[in-house]
Amino acid sequence: MKYLMLFILLVTRTVISVAQQKGTAATCQFHSINSIGLLEGSAGSAFQLQTINGAQYKSWFGGIGLGLDYYRYRTVPFFIDLRKEFGKNANKLFVYSDLGVNFGWVTDKQKTQYVSDDKFANGFYSDLGFGYKVNLGKNGGLVMSLGYTYKKVIESYKLPLYLYGNSIYSEPPLNDQTVKYSYSLNRITIKIGWEF
Amino acid sequence: MQRLRLFSSQLQNNRMKKKFYFRYPVCFIAFLVLLLPGCMKDKIRKTYQITTPVFETLTKLRESIKSQPAISIMAPGKITVAGKYILLAEQGKGIHVIDNSNPSTPRNVSFINIPGNEDLAITGNTLYADSYGDLVTFDISDPLDVKAENFVTNIFPDHNNYYYPSAGYLTDTSHNADSINIIIGWTARDTTVDYDPSGSYIGYYNSCLNCAAAPATYIANASAPAIGTGVATNGSTARFNILNSFLYTVGATSLTTFDISQPSRPSFTSSVQIDPHVETIYTLKNRLFIGTNNGMYMFDVQTAPATPKLAGEFTHLRACDPVIADDNYAYVTLNDASACMGSLNQLQIVDIHDLGNSFLVTSYQLVHPEGLSKDGDDLFICDGTDGLKIFNVADVKNIHLVKQLKNADVHDIVTENGLAIVVAADGIYQYDYADLNNIHLISKL
Repeated sequence: MKYLMLFILLVTRTVISVAQQKGTAATCQFHSINSIGLLEGSAGSAFQLQTINGAQYKSWFGGIGLGLDYYRYRTVPFFIDLRKEFGKNANKLFVYSDLGVNFGWVTDKQKTQYVSDDKFANGFYSDLGFGYKVNLGKNGGLVMSLGYTYKKVIESYKLPLYLYGNSIYSEPPLNDQTVKYSYSLNRITIKIGWEF
Repeated sequence: MQRLRLFSSQLQNNRMKKKFYFRYPVCFIAFLVLLLPGCMKDKIRKTYQITTPVFETLTKLRESIKSQPAISIMAPGKITVAGKYILLAEQGKGIHVIDNSNPSTPRNVSFINIPGNEDLAITGNTLYADSYGDLVTFDISDPLDVKAENFVTNIFPDHNNYYYPSAGYLTDTSHNADSINIIIGWTARDTTVDYDPSGSYIGYYNSCLNCAAAPATYIANASAPAIGTGVATNGSTARFNILNSFLYTVGATSLTTFDISQPSRPSFTSSVQIDPHVETIYTLKNRLFIGTNNGMYMFDVQTAPATPKLAGEFTHLRACDPVIADDNYAYVTLNDASACMGSLNQLQIVDIHDLGNSFLVTSYQLVHPEGLSKDGDDLFICDGTDGLKIFNVADVKNIHLVKQLKNADVHDIVTENGLAIVVAADGIYQYDYADLNNIHLISKL
């Protein structure tokens, strides 16, 4: 997972720098939006981190994003970001939509104890919302947003040897049983970041 | 002047508009931030299997307890060697009868079908085995044609799968075999339900020791007598053991004693609670050594063999722990099997000169030790996938590894007359160790 994140960052940064060198006169400009945020849901609050890198054409922006999401289980969302800006002022309102995959990168502490073969499958990730961009000139701008985000986490594990007393016959043979939990996690996301 | 007023008014208007544009979205966002999280509910679905028992009447089940043609060894359990025969439990199913007249070519000759069997012990021509909650007595004078002779019903409640439809669980003392149902298997189907992590608890009760391991007995070879002489020497993971005319068994929490002065008619004499996680029993002279998850308990049976008296105990960190002993020391192997929730993997040698004041002499780190056996100064330890290890323990404070045979996932061992019979995950291995420096595998079944 670390390597994946590093790879994405390197690729997107390379694309941006090349495009910026070539495209100063073009209408298509490359941007990077890097933000931190808060996730609020029924399981409480959690921290998140995102980097979105892509191109802006007129009022439209499209990019690829990678993040860290600590809500319930640490996961790494990898998504496509599409956003539309409104207004003619330097500061703009915008709406955005993220769709992608959520990779499990669960900490040992978050894993279920005393079970075997604890696995986390990749799941769906989305984020829809709106925000406000404060233009701060050549240095970029401050981006604030509010949205609804959904992530799916699927955990499965095998139950340990289950024995009542010392008999393997008194209780159902659960030792080979696989239990699966499907988490559909709905959160409000508040982000603040820097776009350049 | 009028222009100036107009300009001033427009400027004020713009400011107000800006304030409007700024204030109201901020208030709106703050409103959403405060209220929306309350609407956000996580939905968690849990998928698991519902298992449903398959019943059979006790009468019908007992009718099936008898010899049948040999079957393959699938899940080797306890072992007993009686004369030239090895009796090896197939966990939950019965007992293999293996003709070991020639240890280099053992033959699997028949199978005693005993549903729900885990443990066994032999004295003379009598085999004692459990079948679910029952203690079953067999005449094995002809090991190829074994029949159940006697049932002590429901004497091992922690192995019990009985259901008494008329009077409820464990309250019907009539023991009408036709009215008692036994779970002989399970059917499973998947189910998915909504799950609330705050309101649920997954409880695991793990107290097993050597359910998946192996166990005890006599050794057989060409010069050995046929079945019918003496008491079996059980392995360290045994849960049944015979001393003189008493059969001692351990259940999940207790030690139970049977008088077998009439071998075919064992009679219950006493039961004593020991520990919530009892594992093994080993007998030596007039002492019983009982291994539990939390320690070793020593009972004296010299004065009152029908009612063993606790003579001492030695506690250790939680672990699975078979135990054997000689006159001066007890040898305890601790392992971290998940069933015992332990973390140690080592041999501990305990001074038992004074049972009431036993103490640790030394410990030795191992990989995953289970069954063990001692012959003279040589201590044989089954160290799981790390193989069979042989230590010289002439000086218990300075034990050293003599040999390691790393060719199987080994669980228990019986040594006798230069022959080591080792129960592994995939069958029985026999080693000739008459010359320890030249110990070698002579057969695998």
